[in-house]
Amino acid sequence: MNVVLALPFGHALVARQDLPIPAWLFAWAASIVLIVSFFALSAAWRRPIFEDQHWRPLGGAGFSRALLGPPAQALCGAIGVLLLGFAIYAGLHGTEAPDRNFALTFLFVTCWLGFPFLAAIFGDVFRPFNPWRAAGRACGAALAAAGVERPSKLAYPQRLGRWPAAIGLLAVVWLEVVYGASGGIAVGLDPHSCAVAACVYSAYTLAMMALFGVEEWCATGEIFSVYFGMFSQLGFLGVRDGKLGRRRPLAAATSWAAIPGSAAVVIASIASTSFDGSQEGAFKGAIEKVFEWLGEAGLGPTTSLRLSNTIFMLLCFAGVALVYELGVRGMRSIPGAPSLARLRTAFAHTLIPIALAYLIAHYFSLFVFQEQAQFTYLLSDPLGTGHTDLFGTAEVGIDFSLLSSQTIWYVQVAALVCGHVLGLTLAHDRALTIWPDPRRATRSQYWMLAVMVAFTCFGLYLLSAGNG
Amino acid sequence: MTALVAAALVPVAHIGHWLWVFYVLPVIIVIAGIFWSTRAANRREREEEEKRP
Repeated sequence: MNVVLALPFGHALVARQDLPIPAWLFAWAASIVLIVSFFALSAAWRRPIFEDQHWRPLGGAGFSRALLGPPAQALCGAIGVLLLGFAIYAGLHGTEAPDRNFALTFLFVTCWLGFPFLAAIFGDVFRPFNPWRAAGRACGAALAAAGVERPSKLAYPQRLGRWPAAIGLLAVVWLEVVYGASGGIAVGLDPHSCAVAACVYSAYTLAMMALFGVEEWCATGEIFSVYFGMFSQLGFLGVRDGKLGRRRPLAAATSWAAIPGSAAVVIASIASTSFDGSQEGAFKGAIEKVFEWLGEAGLGPTTSLRLSNTIFMLLCFAGVALVYELGVRGMRSIPGAPSLARLRTAFAHTLIPIALAYLIAHYFSLFVFQEQAQFTYLLSDPLGTGHTDLFGTAEVGIDFSLLSSQTIWYVQVAALVCGHVLGLTLAHDRALTIWPDPRRATRSQYWMLAVMVAFTCFGLYLLSAGNG
Repeated sequence: MTALVAAALVPVAHIGHWLWVFYVLPVIIVIAGIFWSTRAANRREREEEEKRP
């Protein structure tokens, strides 16, 4: 009988067999949740509250000094430099098996996924551990101690804003999922390539820091500072005037997008996650078609594969940007709306919870499984030689029964729904500052509701196609 | 019986290709709702303006 039920899906997407209702019904339910949330916000949320972070210091001055003072900064920075150095060493000298080498899991799972999850709760936890910031500051301090007069820094072009970080973000994801794509052909991002990329990026970052200044480059061009810093705007801890304090969660995000290129960073984040999720699912057939065309045009299989994936990755970026642009243009039609450029900037931060939701939905299970490897066999045998067992956990494997496929699906749906409701809340709050008349503010947000419903349904479609 | 049902379903064997439609429908409904309510609001505003002396 199961064969009969599977027949209508026999040639394409396979319906998830372990769900009590079809996966697409979750998209309908999520849309209803968003619509209900929208009307609840319209009725009950009549004045903006996120514009004020409601920041208050945490503990006494000694507490902040202990956590943020030079000794703590130096210690955290040294840990960051040490771990990056070790990951590079493992990549260069360890096994070429990606799953047995410390480097790939540490850089692309523990750090790349772990810092956004942590930052979204606790604020910018990456900043003190940033190895390039620490190295740059240490170099500056050493030069100053040696009495060497440094050449004056270049003024960072304000128009560039965060664009270098947005492009860099796409480049990092490209390295991971396009350059390292297998797709049946053995391309694969090997630990050695990953280590070389980390060395190249380190040289580039330190050069940019020398040119423009450490803090300036971290705020605008350093990919990881900008990317993790974006998620930290949602967190409830923040630093102000050198003091650690509590703040209203989400509130810091309201001022984040003021720098040019910030919208591109958050769009790149959503697009790259979408592409990674759809590469082996929803877009698989289309990517294969383009791959075949490129092959017929005379390109080699590796080049064809990378080029076809690159095209789809850029299409994802263009698609996400287009949906956001349509939302902004819709808002522009409401009387009293500011310019398009101002609207684009004003609402870019509302996409941050969506970027986080996409990240959780797509990678939460990978994170849970790979972190077991990180803290067991990869920690005991980081080079993957098979001869080392530093902590006696080299033989421990990953327990895949820790999460059932149903649990993963429900976490994915919950993450997407919560992320979009939070995005809607931030957008409604911002609309109240632009249109003081609540009726007009609500009307402007019809368009953001459409954007949120589109992103939710698109995200669930990608997940259902990918999980199928 | 199973074979009969299977045979009846063969013509719709490609329906899986069209599952994405179910994900697009809520978006279309919301956009249609926006157009409808925007038109209604514009009409109301026009009528209010006309009523003003």
